[in-house]
Amino acid sequence: MNNESFQVITPNHADYRNLVRGLTKEIWPEFMLHDAVANELWHELLDRFAEYQLALYDTQNNRAAGMANSFPLRWDTPLENLPEGGWDWVFRKAVQNDKQGLSPNIHCAIQIILRPDYQGQGLAAPMVEAVRAVTKSKGLRSLIIPIRPSDKHKYPLTRLDDYITWRTRQGLPFDPWLKVHMRAGGKIIKVCHESKTIRGTRAEWEKWTAMKFPQSGQYIIDGALNPMEMNLEKDEGVYIEPNVWIVHEVG
Amino acid sequence: MTPDRFQVIHPKDLKDYRDRAGDIGEASWPEFMMHDSIANEHWHELFDRFSEYQFALLDTETNRMATMGNSLPFRWDEVISALPEGGWDWVFVKAMEDHKNKVTPNIQSAIQIAIHPDYQSQGLSIRMVQAMREIGQSKGFKYLVAPVRPNQKSKYPLISIDDYIQWTNEEGLPFDAWLRVHARTGAKIIKPCHEAMIIRGTRAEWEQWTGMKFPQSDVYIIPGALNPMQMNVEADEGVYVEPNVWLVHQIEE
Repeated sequence: MNNESFQVITPNHADYRNLVRGLTKEIWPEFMLHDAVANELWHELLDRFAEYQLALYDTQNNRAAGMANSFPLRWDTPLENLPEGGWDWVFRKAVQNDKQGLSPNIHCAIQIILRPDYQGQGLAAPMVEAVRAVTKSKGLRSLIIPIRPSDKHKYPLTRLDDYITWRTRQGLPFDPWLKVHMRAGGKIIKVCHESKTIRGTRAEWEKWTAMKFPQSGQYIIDGALNPMEMNLEKDEGVYIEPNVWIVHEVG
Repeated sequence: MTPDRFQVIHPKDLKDYRDRAGDIGEASWPEFMMHDSIANEHWHELFDRFSEYQFALLDTETNRMATMGNSLPFRWDEVISALPEGGWDWVFVKAMEDHKNKVTPNIQSAIQIAIHPDYQSQGLSIRMVQAMREIGQSKGFKYLVAPVRPNQKSKYPLISIDDYIQWTNEEGLPFDAWLRVHARTGAKIIKPCHEAMIIRGTRAEWEQWTGMKFPQSDVYIIPGALNPMQMNVEADEGVYVEPNVWLVHQIEE
């Protein structure tokens, strides 16, 4: 990365909102934009935790190359106890803690993304570094992340518990995104099997995926980490996304 | 597209017919589909024994081969509904054996209609089915059968093919585009053949064919495959069993 041309900015930057607009939609498969917790609470990131939101600003092209969203929360028991609920759970918990005025002691990132045309250029590591710097500057002891392993969607029938044990010849995680975090000093805690739950009617899923669901059963969805379960009698398809709790001990 | 832009040709009409036909196959199928052992061992027999059952559409404007069709004759004295689960692999071997044993054939089976990606969605598939039927007609056969690969099944690898072939669109035609082409030209679905092709490879071969990794024994979703593939790391063998659908076209009333 040419450090001269990329700058980490926060919502204090006058153009922040414009620069990151539409970025999420560019990255995720459509169905991933229909997590109920995300849709209900997303605005809280800027309302409550503005100084924890970052973008990587490409100054030469006046674009956001990527974005990182995080917040602080209170966690007093060992990290091994972090719950199965992963992403959905942690977002609710952070908002709740903030509402109660509970002083936070831990940092959690819920999204670190790069636009497709900025991927494969070594920008992921500096993005992770920028998030770790926030943990440090806020005096929090650890950065935790319910990670979405970036290649798991190619292996939707393999259990995530098995998948995270796959290694390259160098002994690093097989998954590219897990690899970035391990190289940056992260450690795998465990799988959170119900990190996000995405529900939709049959018609919604057909729109989101451009597929058809003529019968109840399990379906492979492009970009999904596990199969989706469609129940026509209830007119409901449910996708439960597993993620991986990882920790960066920063403090 | 002018009606006579595409001309039906046979292997005897073009010196490099087999090479050019091979290119269409490679452009049309996922790599792993090129490793069916029956196909690889016996493909040349199509040209050695059944040359007049092989044909292609030549684009006369560009002199490119746009499509290819392969079929063969065999002997079938039972009812059509008794055709076996072995589908594609079975019918290929059966036709060769019949020919070797000088058994007079009485039925035709299609084994491939491939359309070069550059020529898809131009209505050539219906032309190909018609050209295939005309061969059977010229031989005086009553039926053309086909173990058909429903292409879009690859998006639904967890649905049983028995269920999948019952899916229909709003017009009541088959959901699957290939099954629809056949239905529009008068074909009837007989039944699935669950073991139409069997593709075996070592772990290294499957990794090369798919660009994936298979670190553990498991079932894997392979792009372009109609069902999951089963990898057994201990036996160093991945097995993919491809289901197809037996269809029948009645050639003569």
